[in-house]
Amino acid sequence: MTDAKQPDAKQPDAKQLAAKQEEAVDPSAPVTGMDYFMKLEYHELLCPVVREFADALMDKRLIGHKCPKCGLIYSPPRGYCPICTVQTTKADEIEIQTHGIVTNYTVVTPVQYYGQEETEPFAKVSLQLDGGGTLSLQDLPGVPVEQVHPGMRVEIVWAPDDERHVDDVTNRSWGSAEGAIRGWKPTGEADADPSEYSDKTF
Amino acid sequence: MANDIAIVGYAQSPSWRQSELTEPQFLFPVISEAIERAGVERREIGFTCAGSCDYLSGQTFAFVMNLEAVGAWPPITESHVEMDGAWALYEAWVRLQHGDIDTALVFGSGKSSPGVPAEVYPHQMDPYTLTPLGADPVSLAALQARAMLDAGKITEREMAEIAARSRKSAIGNPYAQVTGDDDPDALLKEPYVTAPLRRHDLPPISDGACAVILATADKAKSLSKRPVWIRGIDHRIDIHQPGMRDLTESPSTRLAGKKAGVGDAKVDIAELSATFSYQEKLLCEELGLGDDVEINPSGGPLAANPVMAVGLARFAEAARQIAEHGKGRAVAHATSGQCLQQNLVAVLEGD
Repeated sequence: MTDAKQPDAKQPDAKQLAAKQEEAVDPSAPVTGMDYFMKLEYHELLCPVVREFADALMDKRLIGHKCPKCGLIYSPPRGYCPICTVQTTKADEIEIQTHGIVTNYTVVTPVQYYGQEETEPFAKVSLQLDGGGTLSLQDLPGVPVEQVHPGMRVEIVWAPDDERHVDDVTNRSWGSAEGAIRGWKPTGEADADPSEYSDKTF
Repeated sequence: MANDIAIVGYAQSPSWRQSELTEPQFLFPVISEAIERAGVERREIGFTCAGSCDYLSGQTFAFVMNLEAVGAWPPITESHVEMDGAWALYEAWVRLQHGDIDTALVFGSGKSSPGVPAEVYPHQMDPYTLTPLGADPVSLAALQARAMLDAGKITEREMAEIAARSRKSAIGNPYAQVTGDDDPDALLKEPYVTAPLRRHDLPPISDGACAVILATADKAKSLSKRPVWIRGIDHRIDIHQPGMRDLTESPSTRLAGKKAGVGDAKVDIAELSATFSYQEKLLCEELGLGDDVEINPSGGPLAANPVMAVGLARFAEAARQIAEHGKGRAVAHATSGQCLQQNLVAVLEGD
C-alpha cells in the first residue's frame, strides 16, 4: 500500500537533506537537536522449521507443529513448545485447515514517521483455524476496518500461482506471509458463537 | 560479608560463524542441559536473568522471545540486562544474597551473524562524537594496541604468540570456532586487517549461547559434590570516551580484581575476556597474574566469541577447570564497551 503521493516517506532525497541542513543553520540559536539518519541491515538464514512452513505455503498448504505433551499447535512451527519446554520435530508436523474464525484484531492508524509507507488505517487479525492452530498478523483485504470483528468466519485467499512467493517469510514474521497469502475473505456464514473462541483470543 | 553462592551447573552451545537456528532455538538445549547438570527442577528455580542485545539481533524485544527457551508459563520471576550474560550472573548473585530463594538460572546469548558488527556497534557509542565517526570495535582496539606498542608494553610477536597459544588450547574445546597449531612467525607474515591488528589478533564473529545455574550454600551442597564457589565478584567502569583515558592501562580491571580478592591467594587458571590478543597481556598485568597462571585453557574469545555470552562462558569455563579438572582457584573476567571500558572480575574456588 505504498502511497505515490508521499515519495519522501521512503528515502531521504539528497536535495531535501541539503535544504534541511541549510534551514537549520542559524549560528545564534542554541543547538537543541540534530538529525542523524541511520540504516542497519540484517540478513538471517531461515531456520529449518520455518523453511518447511515456507515450502508448504508454495504448495498452498499451512503446516504447524503439535506439541506432543499438551497438544497446542504452533504455526509457523517454532521447533519447541515454550509452555511444556519440549522440543518438537518433523514428527510433530501437522497440516492445518485454511478456514477458521477471527478471534481478535488490531486497527493500526499509521503515524507518518520517517520510513512509514502506510497512509490509511488497516486491520491485522488473529485467526483460529478450524480443527486447531492459530495464525496472527493476517489481512482481510477489501473488508472495511469498521466491519472487522471477532467471530467472523473466513477462508484463505492464496496468491495466484505465478505471483506466489515466500520472500517476505522470515524467522521473525510469525504468521505474516503476504507473498503467499493474499489474505482471508469472509465466507458469509453466520458468526461463530463466542464460546468457540473466547478463551483463545490473542 | 556476602553469602556464599556457588555455580552448580553450566552448558554452552558451540560457537558458530552463522547458525541457521534462531536464538531461542539454540538457547533451548543449552538451558535444558544446564538445568539437568545442576540437578534442579526447572519449576523450582527462584530467579532467572538473561543477557542479550536487541541491536545485535536487529529485533525489538528479541530478549522476550529468548524466554521461550526458559519455560515462562506459569509466570516466573525474571530479569534481563542489555549486557553480557556475566552481568546477568552478577544480578542473580545479588538477588541470591537476599536469602529468600536458593537457585537462579543465568544465560547469555547472541547472534552476530545477521548484522554487520562494524556498523552495529558505533550506534552504541556516544551519539554526538563517536557514532558519526563510525567508531567500531576493531578500529578502537587498533588504537589501543598501537598505544600499547608505542609504550613498549607489548610487541606484535607477543600478540601473535597469544593468538597461536589460544588457537592451540582451543583444539580440545568442542565449543570453539577457531582452532589450530599455528607458528607465530607465519602469523606475523599475514597482512594487517586494521594496523597494527592482523586477523589472528581479532576474535571470530560468532553465534552462540551459555547458561549457568547458581545456588546458595546449603542448596549447592545438597545438589553438587563439587560446587564452585564465587568467593569474590566486582564490576568497575572507566570513562566512556577513549580519548580521555590512558589506553595502556585498565584501572577498572585493577580495582575490580583487588575488590574481588584475586591477589589474596595463588591463582591456578584464569579465563579472561581478552577479545583482542593484546588485551590478554594488559589484563594479566592489571590483575597481577604471572607466568605460573594458565590463561584461557579453553582458547578464550579468540577461539569463540559469541557476543553477550562470551563473558558468561568465561565463568562456565573457569568453573569447568575446578569441577572437572581439579583446579583449586580460578579467575573469571568479562568486559563490556570499547577498549576494556567495563570490567567484571570474579574469583572461583573449589571446596
